[in-house]
Amino acid sequence: MNISSLGSLLADDNWQNQYTDTGWFAILLTAVVVAFVLLNIVRAEAGGKKGKDLFIRRIAGLNAIDEAVGRATEMGRPVLMVPGLGANVDAVVMQALKIFSYVARIAANFGNPILICCAAAPVYTVAQEMIRDVYQREGLGDKFDNDSVRFVSDRQFAFAAGVSGLILRDKVAAAFFMGDFFAESLIFAETANSVGAIQIASSTQTTQTPFFIAACDYVLIGDEFYAAGAYLTRQPILVGSLIGQDWNKILIASLVFLGAVMNAAQRGLFSPAMTSMETNDSVTKKLDAPRPVKKGETFTARLFNPQDDITLKDRIHREKYPDAEVPQPDAKVTDWR
Amino acid sequence: MNPMMFFADLIPPHTFWNAANGSPEWWTKTLVALLAVSVGFFFMRTAGPRVRRLVIGAVTLVAGAFFVLYFVVPQPVNRHAGEMPLSVPESLSFWFDDALPIVSTIANTLAAFLLGLGVYSVLTIHVRKVWRQQRDWGFSVVLLVCIVIMALIGYADWYDRKFVGGAKLDDPAFWGWINYANDFFFNGLLQQMDAAMFSVIAFYILSAAYRAFRIRSVEATILLASALVVMLSLMGAVEFGWNVLVGNGSMFTLTEIAKWLRDSFQTPAIRAIDFGVGIGALAMGLRLWLSLEKQGAN
Repeated sequence: MNISSLGSLLADDNWQNQYTDTGWFAILLTAVVVAFVLLNIVRAEAGGKKGKDLFIRRIAGLNAIDEAVGRATEMGRPVLMVPGLGANVDAVVMQALKIFSYVARIAANFGNPILICCAAAPVYTVAQEMIRDVYQREGLGDKFDNDSVRFVSDRQFAFAAGVSGLILRDKVAAAFFMGDFFAESLIFAETANSVGAIQIASSTQTTQTPFFIAACDYVLIGDEFYAAGAYLTRQPILVGSLIGQDWNKILIASLVFLGAVMNAAQRGLFSPAMTSMETNDSVTKKLDAPRPVKKGETFTARLFNPQDDITLKDRIHREKYPDAEVPQPDAKVTDWR
Repeated sequence: MNPMMFFADLIPPHTFWNAANGSPEWWTKTLVALLAVSVGFFFMRTAGPRVRRLVIGAVTLVAGAFFVLYFVVPQPVNRHAGEMPLSVPESLSFWFDDALPIVSTIANTLAAFLLGLGVYSVLTIHVRKVWRQQRDWGFSVVLLVCIVIMALIGYADWYDRKFVGGAKLDDPAFWGWINYANDFFFNGLLQQMDAAMFSVIAFYILSAAYRAFRIRSVEATILLASALVVMLSLMGAVEFGWNVLVGNGSMFTLTEIAKWLRDSFQTPAIRAIDFGVGIGALAMGLRLWLSLEKQGAN
């Protein structure tokens, strides 16, 4: 294959049609978000070497961890930790287990029993390795109890019943619920409350956060959950990442504001803006009479919905198969697999 | 001819990732995969912690790179069975489209292995509890008996439906005692107990709301007032009475106020939290992908 044939392939009409309208903005935005995080990690590492300490505001729920474990030690009861209902070891589960590692370290040094209940076998295996590692690093490997990390059930309410039973029978003194929680969140929180446990919770599911706020002593809301690692350990990489996240939040808030203003301007602030041109299937034509600008016709709407042009898909289909029947827009064409 | 046919969809459903069942190509690919896994396993068993960490980091990087590229490379539009790619980018997009189910299967296979470890954990904990007759060991006996019964009856029912009865067992008129037993244990007991646990939430909502909706601070008072308006707006008689009072069509009807609370405060707040959570997950994923995460306890 020579350069000219590659050039002709890239200049193919198909490339032009299919690949220039499939979400370049999402890729660009993701690249910027990633760049902000990486840039701040580098900045924080450089700052860390110079001894600079970056400021992180106080998060009450994380300050209460020591208090909760200390209370459990005084009462001689276990500390319960639940990393949510996540079926796979993803970013949420890893973050929850990182926080639990910190809790386990304090509990190990106090000689306090811990209990980690998992709803998924992959999470259970990773949790067991991480907690065992914590005990070994603290020189307390012989104190680690294999049964302290346990798989309960992967059925939502069987898990809820199992964990509630453990809370009631063992009368846990402190409970940490962190990760993906769903309908079972309130069952855990209320059961732990009924035995007088101090509760620190966080859910990445916004529908469950209100339940935790209503029933728990401390709640990490939204991205405070992801700030926990940086807050507790002050590792430059984590602190830098946290600052990168803040930059990104400012970026997204600015984009939301800018998009709203642009959209409002294009559709008319006080009375509907009119248009006499219509673009369909990449072809612009003049309308017989002016009409109000439609919701999907603004620049912002097209930027965020790049694949909504059904006619474009039909046209590509017809070009490849001129004699074929045009499929339904939502038909899954790769079902043959 | 397309110069990147190797990456393309050759003869669906047989692609770079699979082959016709029992064909020499299938055997070759299977043997190469087994050999690679065996060598990898042996190497990881003998390697030191540093090398092991390096290998894990490399595998994580490659596996993560697949999904990053899958996101970046445009998806095929209107793809059909047996369709040939028309360009270089389309070849790549077809290749990723073919590879996704295979890569997902690898993750599912790993999860299946780990499920065995999970079941082992449950069994050891409860068998030990029964053996030593620790506190509440009776519950453990119930659990172990249930595990055995469900596994045996579930397997017998599956075998019956798959190899003996076939499709006619979709009709309960042809059921044998195994099918009735499975239905009784799964739908009659397990599903009902699930539903019972779910229904408990209604009472917990009441007790949690009783604690939360108390005037302790300014924030709690605002929460109480907002919740009251939203709840009252859902009560037909109260809403009717209020509407008569303020006049139908007024912007101060309970429904309008509740809608304003939801649209102007609740939805933006939830979206803002979602943005934060999404960025946090992305940053965490990035650190994991690039092996920048270290043990959190230190």
